[in-house]
Amino acid sequence: MKTGKDKSELMELKHDAVPGYRGIFSVVFTLSLLYMAFILFQPCF
Amino acid sequence: MTNSILPALIFIIGGFMIPFFRGRAKSIYMMLIPVVGFINLINIPMGNHYLMGFSDFKLVLLHIDRLSLLFGYIYHIIAFITVIYILNFKNDVEYVSGFFYAGAALGAVFAGDLFSFFIFWEMLTIGSVMLIWARKTKSAQAAGLRYLLVHAFGGLVLLAGIVLNFTETGSLEMLKLTLSGPGSYLIFLGIGINCAWPVLHPWLTDAYPEATIGGTVFLSAFTTKTAVYALARLFPGTEALIWIGVAMAAFPIFYAVIENDLRRVLAYSLINQVGFMVVGIGIGTELAINGACAHAFNDILFKGLLFMSMGAVMYRTGKINATDLGGLYKSMPWTALFCCVGAASISAFPLFSGFVSKSMVMEAAASGSHLVGQKSYVIVWLVLLFASAGVFHHAGIKIPFFAFFGHDAGHRVKEAPLNMLIAMGIAAVLCVFIGTFPKPLYNLLPFAVDYHPYTISHVLSQTELLFFSALAFTLLLLSGIYPAEMRALNVDADWIYRKSGKALYQIFDTVLNPLNAWCERLVRGAATGTADFFKDAGAKISIFVAVNIWLLAGYRDKHLEIKKQKLYNDILQGTLPAGIGAAVTITFILLVYVFI
Repeated sequence: MKTGKDKSELMELKHDAVPGYRGIFSVVFTLSLLYMAFILFQPCF
Repeated sequence: MTNSILPALIFIIGGFMIPFFRGRAKSIYMMLIPVVGFINLINIPMGNHYLMGFSDFKLVLLHIDRLSLLFGYIYHIIAFITVIYILNFKNDVEYVSGFFYAGAALGAVFAGDLFSFFIFWEMLTIGSVMLIWARKTKSAQAAGLRYLLVHAFGGLVLLAGIVLNFTETGSLEMLKLTLSGPGSYLIFLGIGINCAWPVLHPWLTDAYPEATIGGTVFLSAFTTKTAVYALARLFPGTEALIWIGVAMAAFPIFYAVIENDLRRVLAYSLINQVGFMVVGIGIGTELAINGACAHAFNDILFKGLLFMSMGAVMYRTGKINATDLGGLYKSMPWTALFCCVGAASISAFPLFSGFVSKSMVMEAAASGSHLVGQKSYVIVWLVLLFASAGVFHHAGIKIPFFAFFGHDAGHRVKEAPLNMLIAMGIAAVLCVFIGTFPKPLYNLLPFAVDYHPYTISHVLSQTELLFFSALAFTLLLLSGIYPAEMRALNVDADWIYRKSGKALYQIFDTVLNPLNAWCERLVRGAATGTADFFKDAGAKISIFVAVNIWLLAGYRDKHLEIKKQKLYNDILQGTLPAGIGAAVTITFILLVYVFI
């Protein structure tokens, strides 16, 4: 078992993308923007 | 008048007695101090006590009303919890400093006049600096010095404000002030420095993560909350505070996301939460002031709990950076659980303490328009909503996720010591209790409370906000967009002294040092010339007078030169006949008298 001392310290904790999630993020983000736009501009309609 | 003891004195004198105890007696004695203090406090009647004459001023050392009592209660509670937490450190400097600091905070909130308030305010600085220096690292020493400089400056600004305000109004009373004269503005600014307003805040994020493990828990409770108390006492309803508070709630989120040091993340989170309180005080309605005070009460508990959990991690692993942590829930399950309770509380999850207090401020901002003569602060409400989502992200998710879950850093350590677990357990139980049964807290607030946090719409909207924030975090992480934590110093407003300070030093070094050298040469040259002149001034003046007499007597050329040289030597060597010497002296005095 590796202990904390055995392991070299990370200089940078990167969060590598899991394949497929970039697309899901884009879809959810777009839908969220549309939803917010709908809420904000609802009084105009 | 009361027979009770001044609450501050119990802590300060009690703290200084700690080094005289040993072993188990010391632990029991330390835990008894806040307990005795609390019993003393609940027996003090409302009103002014400990009135003292100082010069022409009437000082009130103990002013008890609902506002000061609320802060007094929570200060005793957090002092008790923190003392339990630090029992295993065996560091007398930390113990004495902690009690001194807590005593100063109690003195400040119970001060009934501005002068007493200032004295305790400065004692706060001394106690907090000692807690930072108690860590005894080089970075802690440097951070403590910077902290001291900022707070000494803040104290001077406050003192100047108090003096100016006294000359304007003739009063030292701790009453509501309006921003009208320079005195009130300086008091406002002096308090703002301790409140960590934007741009004035770097001392907090710089110094808190550098303090001792227990010191940071103490620090998170007192300085900023005493400033919040002072604003609630002196500047309720001051509109500028709304916008200052909004900025405080919003900007730390961005820095907290990229910060690697998890105690520094919590320091940013502290500013964010104080922002909510400052907004509430700025709005100034009864609901808003109640919300600000209730949130200060809760924040002391859940922020203390979060700092305690990170302190326990640091104590066991020696690490505090996100890059070095992860997977600790296997080794420290209880600490992880308590951290999650603190995280849920700060994120305002239903049934946790933040839910019943933060929403009061937001409600006050959103519903102002329903009250006659009140403004609606829709933009303020929207920013606070964003800040709520942000705090859930950086304090609610990031802290537990990177410390206890996330990537496994391979630490296989023991669970936190029992006293630390007990302290965290008490804080966690209080967070859940207040979140579930808010009535006892509401009964302590400065104004009567007519607010019900558990409405269907509030529970649903808050849960919705939290779950969408969690979704955003998950998707950002999985899609690789979430920024990496790096071993680097993130500079924000401390850029002013870290970067431009160095540039200013260079400029001054290049411009002012040569100017200084030139001035020195000028002064030294003038002084040397003057000294040279006066060294043989008598001889020169005598020769000037005597030459004319010798010319009349017929002396010329070589003879004249010999006589001049002889007279010069006689005067300098002091061998001049007494009569001539007297004549020369009289002539010199006459010349001085005539021409000067």
